[in-house]
Amino acid sequence: MPIENEIRRLRFENGEMTQAALAEKVGVTRQTIIAIEQNKYAPSLEAAFKIADAFSVPLESVFHWKKD
Amino acid sequence: MSFREKSAWIALLAYGGVFGAYFVALWRSWDPAIGQPLSIGLLVAAMVGFVIIVTALTIIAALLNPTAANAPADEREKLIDLKAERAASYTLSVGVLLSMTGLLMGFNGFLIANVLLASLVAAELVKAGWQIASFRMGA
Repeated sequence: MPIENEIRRLRFENGEMTQAALAEKVGVTRQTIIAIEQNKYAPSLEAAFKIADAFSVPLESVFHWKKD
Repeated sequence: MSFREKSAWIALLAYGGVFGAYFVALWRSWDPAIGQPLSIGLLVAAMVGFVIIVTALTIIAALLNPTAANAPADEREKLIDLKAERAASYTLSVGVLLSMTGLLMGFNGFLIANVLLASLVAAELVKAGWQIASFRMGA
């Protein structure tokens, strides 16, 4: 997956926010948050913005494009 | 395990178990002379059994986690559903082509109907299997 993310670190920095709590804020299932966090699923732009909003950071602080 | 993955498992087990038993029973009892009336009885029993099993297991799964059961599918679940439906449609297409070939070759109409039913069941098994594999792999 060419898109990497900082969700695990951001959860830690936000009081060890649980995957379930993040899932509720974003409006997806906990399994989807797990898949995104493990780089197995690239979220839609809307979900990506919602994740960034949940951490109150800009999108580029959460997701990075990994060039080959 | 998400509610939708549980639903896929329920579909896989119900389709595989009930219609697997139906086709085994049909195979053993098939007789061109009397097979057809017997098959109709078997088919009705299989369909009633299938509905009861799926309904009961879905109710149990929903009672165990009512919040998840009432939640709409999220984007990843919808994408998994779409991919599973596509794989199922290919399976069904193969079955329809086989049935058409059988009809053109003059096979018994009741046999063709069962080939079509088998195609529908196979398509649902592929769909449920695809969903489960996708959920397990995290895709």
